[in-house]
Amino acid sequence: MTTLNSPMALPSLTLLGQSLLSGLFIGALYGLLGLGLSLCWGMLRQINLAHFALAFLGAYLTYQLAGAGMDPLATLAVVVPCFFALGVLMHWVFARFSVSAFNSLLVTFGLTAIIEALIQWIWTADFRRMESAYGEVKFRVGALYVGLPELLTLGMAVALSLLTWVWLRYTYSGKAMRAIAEDAPIAAAFGVNVRGLSLMLSGLSAAFAGVAGLCLALSYTLAPGQIYAWLGVVFAAVMLGGLGNPLGPLVAGIVIGVSEALTMAFTAPAWAPLVSFSLLIVVLLARPERI
Amino acid sequence: MRRRALAGFAAAGLALSAVPFFGLPAFYESFLYLVFHWIVLAVSWNILSGYSGYFSFGHGAFFGAGMYTTATLATKAGVPFLWTLPAAALVAAAFGIALGAVVFRLPRLRGELFALLTLAVTFVLATIVLNTPIDGGPGLVLSAVPLPAIGPSPSSTFYLLGLALALATLWIAREIQRSKLGTGLFAIHDDEDVAEVLGVPTYRYKLAAFGVSCGLAGVAGGIQAMFISYVTVGETFSIAVPLYVVLMSVLGGSRHWFGPAVGAAVVTALLYAFTASDYAVAGRAAVGMILILVILFLPEGIFGQAVRALDRRRVSAAPAIDAADLPAPAAAAPGKGEGKTLLEARGLSKAFHGVQALAGVDLEVRRGEILGLVGPNGSGKSTLINVVSGHFRPDSGRILFEGRNLAALQAHRIARTGLARTYQIPRPFAHLSVLENVALPAMFGRDALPRAEAEREARRWLAFTGLAAKATALPGELNLHQRKFLELARALASRPGLLLLDEVFSGLTHAEIDDAIRLIRAIRAQGATIVFVEHVIRAVMELTDRIVVLSYGRVIAQGDPRAVMSEPDVVAAYLGKPHA
Amino acid sequence: MPGANRSILAGFGALFALGLAAQSALAAPSGTPVRIGSTLALTGPLAATGLVHKIVGELYVEELNRKNGLLGRPVEWVLKDDQSRPDLARTLYEQLITVDKVDLIMGPYATANILSAMGVAQRYNKVLIHHTFGTPSLAKYDMQFPTGGLAGDPDNTIPKLVFDALAASAKPPKSVAVVTSKFPSVHFISLGAREAAKKRGLREAAFLEWDFGNRDFGPIAARLKDAKPDFVWVGGLGLEGNLLIDAMRKIDYMPPLHFHLFPAPGPLLKAPGGENALAATTFEEHPPFTDNPVAVEFIRLYHERAAKAGLPDTSVENQSAISYSSWQTLEAAVTGAKSIDDKAIAQWLKKNPVDAIVGRLRWDGPFNYIYGTDLYKVKQNQNGKWVVIWPKEFTAPGARLITP
Repeated sequence: MTTLNSPMALPSLTLLGQSLLSGLFIGALYGLLGLGLSLCWGMLRQINLAHFALAFLGAYLTYQLAGAGMDPLATLAVVVPCFFALGVLMHWVFARFSVSAFNSLLVTFGLTAIIEALIQWIWTADFRRMESAYGEVKFRVGALYVGLPELLTLGMAVALSLLTWVWLRYTYSGKAMRAIAEDAPIAAAFGVNVRGLSLMLSGLSAAFAGVAGLCLALSYTLAPGQIYAWLGVVFAAVMLGGLGNPLGPLVAGIVIGVSEALTMAFTAPAWAPLVSFSLLIVVLLARPERI
Repeated sequence: MRRRALAGFAAAGLALSAVPFFGLPAFYESFLYLVFHWIVLAVSWNILSGYSGYFSFGHGAFFGAGMYTTATLATKAGVPFLWTLPAAALVAAAFGIALGAVVFRLPRLRGELFALLTLAVTFVLATIVLNTPIDGGPGLVLSAVPLPAIGPSPSSTFYLLGLALALATLWIAREIQRSKLGTGLFAIHDDEDVAEVLGVPTYRYKLAAFGVSCGLAGVAGGIQAMFISYVTVGETFSIAVPLYVVLMSVLGGSRHWFGPAVGAAVVTALLYAFTASDYAVAGRAAVGMILILVILFLPEGIFGQAVRALDRRRVSAAPAIDAADLPAPAAAAPGKGEGKTLLEARGLSKAFHGVQALAGVDLEVRRGEILGLVGPNGSGKSTLINVVSGHFRPDSGRILFEGRNLAALQAHRIARTGLARTYQIPRPFAHLSVLENVALPAMFGRDALPRAEAEREARRWLAFTGLAAKATALPGELNLHQRKFLELARALASRPGLLLLDEVFSGLTHAEIDDAIRLIRAIRAQGATIVFVEHVIRAVMELTDRIVVLSYGRVIAQGDPRAVMSEPDVVAAYLGKPHA
Repeated sequence: MPGANRSILAGFGALFALGLAAQSALAAPSGTPVRIGSTLALTGPLAATGLVHKIVGELYVEELNRKNGLLGRPVEWVLKDDQSRPDLARTLYEQLITVDKVDLIMGPYATANILSAMGVAQRYNKVLIHHTFGTPSLAKYDMQFPTGGLAGDPDNTIPKLVFDALAASAKPPKSVAVVTSKFPSVHFISLGAREAAKKRGLREAAFLEWDFGNRDFGPIAARLKDAKPDFVWVGGLGLEGNLLIDAMRKIDYMPPLHFHLFPAPGPLLKAPGGENALAATTFEEHPPFTDNPVAVEFIRLYHERAAKAGLPDTSVENQSAISYSSWQTLEAAVTGAKSIDDKAIAQWLKKNPVDAIVGRLRWDGPFNYIYGTDLYKVKQNQNGKWVVIWPKEFTAPGARLITP
């Protein structure tokens, strides 16, 4: 409504293209942040709020290691194994105490508070920004620009989502994993190593959080309070995409991201959440089978 | 019981409302106000989400609707503060009911999709408030709104308002839990479809619970608007409210009306336990650690675990079933109108994704008979039961039961006409005791018995089915045989005129089948009319007066069991046509 | 007149230094301590800035106690963490007043929390000295004393300041884009900027508002690139300005000039693309501000403490300076009123200005704000340092507005 009275020319194709890209990239980040969350929720019945805190912990670690002279991408070699172990440990505790889905919400909220405190204790509450060569690189495609960090985020989101999809669909262990998600006792009766695979999936999810952390560190200024900033929209993407569906969060994230970006490009940006979430509501009401 | 509870509430209310007059420092009043505030939010959330399992992530939206109603009325329309509170309740409740009226009609919007929808509604509402004159950006300031002097100081006024609302909320939550509404909601939590078929008006119940839940959150928002006196979109619609109410309910225990109150008090107290500046960060970690440890070692929540420990002690002291109370008089008066048509189906059709499960079935059930419904797998037997009991609506056709067309009725209304069914795979309410499972249909069936009577009735049927000793057990503790009998007891407890049994015998051992046959004979001896779907031919032959054979959704034969079973069409349907 | 300001500052500085020397000869404070209570956002979303105020407060109280305390009594600071939440702030102030029974209170950090504390202060007739209240029109209590340097009408004064600075530059902008967060204390000033631009006959190339908490600034950046304004007014809070700059850089665009209302100063200084960014401030680490020896000593101490606390950016700028000024105000008022009685302190403050390191603070306007005048200056990020470039009498030596 505000654009009507400002003497602006018709929105250009560049604006359209650039906004589409922007929505695509942020959607990819939603998807990447949501991937591990969705897998744990859908297959292990654990709603892992701490996923966001883990992603930020990963981001801070990347920041720290990059500050010590490491290439940001190379930090994955450190962060990913550490986080995998962390995820395994987490599920071991969950299994040991047979934590229900509801209770996992509370446990992981507690874990979030601890990680947040840890981050604040080590890095203070002040803002941190990783300086890296990647941040400066961008490519020009016609009139449009694509930044390297965003491209990396999109690439990793697509690669990890697809790989997970392939794993679950075409490999024995992946199929076994899906069997566990359907009915763990029956899967166990058929000789599936429920415990081992569950530990692995939890480790994998945490490792995905670490990768998402790298992407956060590449593009954003970090502060401990930011942990909660992503919660709402990523949860929406995860639920919309279908729990446990490895491609769901990415697709749903991009739908949300692009619809918001287009709204911001053509109307008052402050209305953006209205459009994307109304769209989501309409989708739910009209086609509850999800997108 | 209720009078004692009422007295307890009154005593607690009186004692607590005396607090401001002891000259306690104002801080304690404000702190307790915040405890009450969170109690109201958590307990009200629990009424829908804890009881019925409809996990709402949108409590912030209804809380916010209340906040903005009070803020708008008090600052822009000059309405006195207290008068804005009913309006806050109404707006929030109306908003919730309008949303529920749409959402609860869509049976697939359960679980996380309901959570997603309510979360999305919160974002949408926040955006609308932010970008319209309701707020527009600057926030609303209530500093100049006069606060009525209910207590000796402003903080005691808030304390008293919070106390009153918290007590009211707890009372409402308690009454709902103990009422038919509560029983229905807990049944919805475990298995909504079964609840509906047993007579629970699930749609209306969810709507009622949602309305109450939202209304209470709205009043809490109205008072909170005045308490913080500066209402902004960012603070109001943050993720904190929905997240905290969930955490509080889980921490306290969400299956009891009082659980969330305990959780709310603990979390709020923890919040204040670590505000000293030197330990702020360590305190945050400590709060996290405490939450983790509590829920790992008390998985039912603090209060839930306590209740369970108490229950266990009570169970061991429970009296044995009195033998004199055993088998009840008739389910339906025997002898009356024997042989006349009780249920008549005409041209029933039902297709799923193009597969014709029922293709124009005509069927008649006579009063007092045992009718066997047989046919190969996929012939439409179970679908027929599902259509008659209202689980599915037929695409076309009529079902006349005692003169009423069931095809036009919702499942819970069908249950009230006196029709009951069992499920092939038992579907007991997993979190209700065996006794509660059986008492539920008695409360929601044709006679709509009050709870005490329903439980007496349930005990009779438990004794009848040999489950009396398991009354306080959870269904998960029963074996398959016992679960089948629980299914049967549950169907009988509504004193149905017509009983639809879906493969009661499948999966049972030889001896167990003998048991079951005896039981069904006993039921019929009391005058009930029974339709049963069965594969176990021995049972069919021993029990039925008449059989109807279905194949590909059509009736291909009916009449005397022995005669029908030797008809070539029937043999072919069962064994397949010999290859020419 | 302009030149006078600087000499006043310097003169007061000298006086203060004399006082310091005299005081240090006095005996250590004794008796029951004067207890000062406040909350700060030490955890939660506002914690980044809350920490700055904690460092300054601790430093000031320590210095007070090394000298003669307040009225010869030692000073104890009772600080609590309000977790960035207004409802908590309100209750904690009640705790400070009614349970901890502190003698005096100081304000928390940020508008919403200060407003919460103000309600409590009003009920208990306590003086509330506060430094970061963004919406003066909401301050309806006559014993609250802002030390943040804002005028009663920042929606007039700040846009005027900025557009004056631009008008005096070598290449005054002809078109302007106002983009702003809908965060309350930012939004109304941005609306003021829009009005001011209109009155000065600048063409409005774009006016865009976003929801506070917006994550995707790509489309807004793309719209700015399309609109090609000479100057962008960014009504951003905290990191929002950084996010917008990042987004603009990604599409290979930077407006010739851009002003940021309430940025996170450290990150904006270091951000690629933050070169030549404009912002508002009351104090920077260069003359004439550092002509005051008190300020110099403060800068030295702050560097030391901030480094010890592990802050990435240890320089003194707006937040730490107004924080320091609020403590200076408290000390001056207690000393001047010779009492820790709230009424006496309030009366003294209404009659006497306080010369703080951010300049001369006065409270003789309606609700202790002065309309049409504030202590804000325009600064620019030049070669990785913030330097004041407007008004002239406060500019860093040799600095002027760089226009591309």
